[in-house]
Amino acid sequence: MIPPGSLALLAQGAAVSLLLAAAAIVGGTVLAIVLAAAAFSRIAAVRALYRVYVYIVRGTPLLVLALLLFYAMPALDLRTGPYIAGTLVLIIYTGALFAEVFRGGVLAIPRPQWESARSLGLPPVAMFRKIVAPLVTRYTLPPYVNVCVMTVKASSVLSIISVWELTLAAREIIERTFAVFTILGLAAAFYFVMCFGIDRLGRRVERRLALRGFAGERA
Amino acid sequence: MSFARWVSIYGSTYWTGLAWTAFIALWASFGAVVWGCVLLLIRLSAGRWGARGVDAYVQLFRNTPVLLPIYLIYFAFPMIGLPWPAVVCGGLALILQNGAYISEVLRGSVNAIDRVQFDAARSLGLAPWGTFRKVVLPQVLVYSLPALGNQVVLLLKDTSLLSAISITELTMQAKLLTEQTGAAYEAFIVVALLYLVLVSSTEVLFRVAHHAVRWR
Amino acid sequence: MIAIRGLRKAFGGLRVLQGVDLDIGDGEVVALIGRSGCGKTTLLRCINFLEEYDAGEIRLDNTPLWYREAPGGGRQRVSEAEARRQRQQMGIVFQQYNLFPHMTVLDNVLLGPRFSQRVSAVEADQLGRRLLARVGLEGKMSAYPAQLSGGQQQRVAIARALAMRPKVLLLDEITSALDPELVGEVEDVIRSLLSERIMMVIVTHALRFAREVAHRIAYLSDGAIVELGSPAEVLDRPKDPSLKEFLRHVR
Repeated sequence: MIPPGSLALLAQGAAVSLLLAAAAIVGGTVLAIVLAAAAFSRIAAVRALYRVYVYIVRGTPLLVLALLLFYAMPALDLRTGPYIAGTLVLIIYTGALFAEVFRGGVLAIPRPQWESARSLGLPPVAMFRKIVAPLVTRYTLPPYVNVCVMTVKASSVLSIISVWELTLAAREIIERTFAVFTILGLAAAFYFVMCFGIDRLGRRVERRLALRGFAGERA
Repeated sequence: MSFARWVSIYGSTYWTGLAWTAFIALWASFGAVVWGCVLLLIRLSAGRWGARGVDAYVQLFRNTPVLLPIYLIYFAFPMIGLPWPAVVCGGLALILQNGAYISEVLRGSVNAIDRVQFDAARSLGLAPWGTFRKVVLPQVLVYSLPALGNQVVLLLKDTSLLSAISITELTMQAKLLTEQTGAAYEAFIVVALLYLVLVSSTEVLFRVAHHAVRWR
Repeated sequence: MIAIRGLRKAFGGLRVLQGVDLDIGDGEVVALIGRSGCGKTTLLRCINFLEEYDAGEIRLDNTPLWYREAPGGGRQRVSEAEARRQRQQMGIVFQQYNLFPHMTVLDNVLLGPRFSQRVSAVEADQLGRRLLARVGLEGKMSAYPAQLSGGQQQRVAIARALAMRPKVLLLDEITSALDPELVGEVEDVIRSLLSERIMMVIVTHALRFAREVAHRIAYLSDGAIVELGSPAEVLDRPKDPSLKEFLRHVR
């Protein structure tokens, strides 16, 4: 039925995929905060740079970005393996997606709340800590979780640039054993558990926050 | 050699890749929309089990990467006696995956249509299929046009993954060129630009279509 | 007291304020009325610099606000830090979405004193409780805005504005978005503030209420104050034709 040892291999591959996704999510979130700040910069050129960045990252397939980086790295004289290139490309990719999510969150804050904060004379640090960050978190949790799920799925693309993770593990086993349905079924199951799990986790966090007053506003 | 010179020499070889990408994106998008409509119909007319079945299908494709169905169809079909060409296998996978997303988009639009219209159609004596065809589907498609455009763009970008099963679309073309000429940068930058052009054109197309239909 | 002279503002080609002059004495309540688009809200928002203005001067207790003379002639904006400091002398309440949904009612009220004025936690807490009691909501201190009615939210917003101990309270159509039965509780709070002799500028459609609480009413049309006087003068004996027309429609 299941080729011996393949379950363990697939599990290892899943762990690698999860790690790649986690690294990309952390890195991407940090990058996205910087990018989102750029999106709201007073300097028009900086805002334009943001739009160009998002345009390019969203308009090019992830695989092409990965290949670009993968082949460009030796040229840049960086002796790092496909894992670094892969993680880097994922960070660039998710950074753009998270930045758009954060930007949407900031724009979703009703104007009177900005103006109340300004009218209270809040200094910038307090403004960010007590107003902007909590409100943006509130508005962006569902799309943020969505991007996290997309990141896990995106990690499978890295298999094409020889990053060993779940999809590449599955492909290798298939080419060896020809147990296509079984192996791909198992791989799908692993992905499903990871993605669905992240989604459920996100819903749980959302519910927890709702209890603390993040519930919808009354008109 | 300089970028411009490289492009002038090798630029023409991109046409094959471009043609394949556009060709696959075109019929796979069409197929995905049709499949999405079929899924919607099943959801609306086959009772609770129909809806649950479609939900399961959508959840499956939402939580798994598109490379898996691509590999599945490509490797498995010959084994079960369907030695279809790689292009068909790849396109089929894209249809199955994107059809799931499209059915969700259409479902959201259906909920947005006024309940009154269903009652009006029923009182005119329209049978369910007639209602679906004449009342629901046209409005849903028009309403979903922007979101459908997004899905088509995603499908377009997913065609790059078909390079993994050796289809000579754009991305594969770039890889081949890289191996032939050793000029990785140039090869992939041109491909990236071509994708940007394709994506932007598609977006403009859908925006124009949306405006055109809205003016009716 | 507040002195506004020659205020002008244009949005692109549209001239919203065309030379507004207004004086508000200590403890005075002035109501701004007029059609939509006459500039009354813009005028209010210029007072606490939520809108920049192109020309004119606003003085609070004889000190010019928001702009100072530039070294090479003309004027320049004060720094952000200075603008923040100046804004603390005014409290503003908007039509809706005033309160921060992720904080309790008490935390909303304390936000300004704690983080802008650096009042100690203990003092701020006492101040907050006192003000919430003043607006009749001491029982709702730990509630979140989503759990309050619209009228209650507006009352908290007033308390929050008052927590900054402002010299002037700016009220931008604060009852316009409320269900009719909730309007009264908010108007009661404003009424109760009259005894505190705090300056108030109220943009409103509710002429009955304006007549009751305002010392003077200013009617704006096309970006200028066209008629200014006591409620009896402006509402019962209007002189300007557009004001007469306006009153006829509102009746």
